[in-house]
Amino acid sequence: MFESVESVQRELAKLNYICDARIATVVFLAQRLEKPVLIEGPAGVGKTELAKAAAAATGSQLIRLQCYEGLDEAKALYEWEYSKQLLYTQILKERFSDVMRGAKTVREAAERVGEEDSVFFSENFLVPRPLMNAITADIPTLLLIDEVDKGDPEFEAFLLEVLSDFQVTVPEVGTIRATQRPLVFLTSNNSREMSDALKRRCLHLFIDFPNADLETRILEAKVPEAGKKLSADLVRMMQALRELDLKKTPSISETLDWARALLALNAVELDSDMVARTLNVILKYEGDVRKAEGELEKFLAKPADDRRTDAAAAASARAAAKGAPRQA
Amino acid sequence: MQKHILEFTNILRRAGVRVSTAEALDAFKALEVLSIDDREVFRNALGATMVKRAADVATFEELFGLYWSGFYDSLREAFDQASAGLPERMDYEALLRQIAELLQDVEGGPEALSDLARAMLAGDLGELESLIRSAAEEAGVGRIENFLQIGFFSRRILERMGAERAEGELRGLTERLRAAGMPDDEAEAMGSLINGLMDAIRKSVRNFTEREIQQRNHDYMEKYRQETLLEKSFYHLTEDEVRKMREVVERLAQKIKNILTIRRRRMKRGKLDLHQTLRRNMSHGGIPFEMVWKHRKKDRPKLVILCDVSSSVANVSRFMLQFCYTLQEAFTKIRSFIFVSDLGEVTHLFKDADINESIERALQGGGVVNVYTRSNFGNAFYVFAQNHLSAVDKKTTVLILGDARNNYNDPKAWCLREIHNRAKDLIWLNPENPNAWGFGDSVMNRYAPFADVAEECRNLRQLSNLIDRLVLS
Repeated sequence: MFESVESVQRELAKLNYICDARIATVVFLAQRLEKPVLIEGPAGVGKTELAKAAAAATGSQLIRLQCYEGLDEAKALYEWEYSKQLLYTQILKERFSDVMRGAKTVREAAERVGEEDSVFFSENFLVPRPLMNAITADIPTLLLIDEVDKGDPEFEAFLLEVLSDFQVTVPEVGTIRATQRPLVFLTSNNSREMSDALKRRCLHLFIDFPNADLETRILEAKVPEAGKKLSADLVRMMQALRELDLKKTPSISETLDWARALLALNAVELDSDMVARTLNVILKYEGDVRKAEGELEKFLAKPADDRRTDAAAAASARAAAKGAPRQA
Repeated sequence: MQKHILEFTNILRRAGVRVSTAEALDAFKALEVLSIDDREVFRNALGATMVKRAADVATFEELFGLYWSGFYDSLREAFDQASAGLPERMDYEALLRQIAELLQDVEGGPEALSDLARAMLAGDLGELESLIRSAAEEAGVGRIENFLQIGFFSRRILERMGAERAEGELRGLTERLRAAGMPDDEAEAMGSLINGLMDAIRKSVRNFTEREIQQRNHDYMEKYRQETLLEKSFYHLTEDEVRKMREVVERLAQKIKNILTIRRRRMKRGKLDLHQTLRRNMSHGGIPFEMVWKHRKKDRPKLVILCDVSSSVANVSRFMLQFCYTLQEAFTKIRSFIFVSDLGEVTHLFKDADINESIERALQGGGVVNVYTRSNFGNAFYVFAQNHLSAVDKKTTVLILGDARNNYNDPKAWCLREIHNRAKDLIWLNPENPNAWGFGDSVMNRYAPFADVAEECRNLRQLSNLIDRLVLS
């Protein structure tokens, strides 16, 4: 349980999730107001990560429901376990004969069986799916509904019902209410606009690409081995890349991938050769790579000059050091 | 506070941000559990509860700045300036203290002054702000509609506040203080202080009125601009307007995308998929409890675009290419061609490059046509019918963008007929007015019989109507 916005930020930072006050405020509010959060933003800015970190920070179990086209109630909520029902019917065949013994008419027999059918449509034979699990859980739970925009509009309508009351009605069993409200995070990649009804029920959080300062902090937290110099170079370049009009703008996850890739190649700083070789880690389109190469030449030219002068200075210093004794 | 938040909600609504009552209530609930001392936290809380569309975030930020920021800050600035106008050796604080002391001796004491005069002398900005706000409400500043009324409403607020009376009181006070034995230089300083204060209050009131109209008319200019842009002909576009137009087209394309997704979803149920059904029901002992349906063949529109890039339609074709490019992002089955006299395919070009580069390269011929020839529609259609007719089948809509100014060449309308006979629809968008069709070197009258839709498309509104028909039919 978070006490304040700052504590959210602190707790998440402990889990290596670095966020600004805006994100922290929303997480705090979600918990206090018991409202779902709809997180939108470009791919790879840490929407899902936020949910995972929040779950870990609050000590909740994370239940994840990945949405896709064609996801329906049976896969999201519950399903009857038909084979188990069948098996039990087979096993209990004899008991049924007992029940039906003495019935004079077919109607009477059917009625007697009918009285018993609640046995087969009880929670024993229910296969709970993520939503049901989240509602019935008796420990603190964080329900992550990932990429909700990929689901069908019908599923969205059905979600609304679950999110507003946190209860589920199974016709044969009755209404199952949440014993304690789970924290709900929904993520969306904006492949379509969500309905206003859904948005109204949620707090809204838009996570954009991080600014240079935040990105440096994230990089230092996630890939501490990278070192200050390489991190700074990387962040500067990523920020410059995002200025370009690319088909797929690289996001924070690409920055981390790139840092790891460069470390694997034992790079200590960025130079044009290294960049050219590893650019495909962050850019996923041929056209983007070509465009970025042109820009990066310009971008790298400046620091490269610095390095050359550094090297020249070092060389002349060495020469001076060597020359000095000779003069003496 | 509550009142302010409600007012802010109304301002947001007027600016086109949809804030429901439930969301406003959420904002209140959020503020109950947060400390509102921190401006950042306050803004984030309001943002998270009230603003649900990424596109509205910018509007929210701007209005938040206008509404919550600062009027108090600007008030302080104005009054700081007033005291800065004093002669250097005069200490403002000391002067105020002295005045306060002298006031005690004057008959009636400080109570003899009006609220405004007292607040001004004491530099009580909080009190001044609430005085201005209540006077503004009395003056009906909420009815302000345009910038010409700023002066009028400012004067009215000042009247309601009793600014003149306060000034008179202060001047009278100076006289009385002077009579009570205040040194001349101090009295003079007090005179100039009063001038400064009156200036500050006038400035602040004006500032308040300006803010008011900015909040109210936040998107007034924006709307006005877009409306005029919608009516504008393609021929008269500056660079900036082209950029604005681009934004609008992108929105249109998004609309197309959304509609297509819905259509695709609706198409989902079709024939029974025996294979899948058996597989799915294996756990049920092969008894088909769950049916699996074949997805009915997706009736996605196929599109072939022929776009004229000759110099006579240069301004339009830039726009049209932009339209093609966005369409190509939205539709999966689409092929784009450009022509002047020759004709060539640019689908791959549009796929690889970004929008600006694509358009530039297409206007240069895209490496497939020579743009420095005279347009020859007849030849272009002939080349298409010869080489690319296989791109057209009975599900294809052919979209031709051009002015049909054929430079007195052979129109070869039979080629267009051939294309038309193979296609589902043939749509011709002509930037020229129908009255001009067939006049001079225009051969539109020869082509029009083979177009299912032949329309003038000079501006975005016509285009947008057409798009609705194209996708929804």
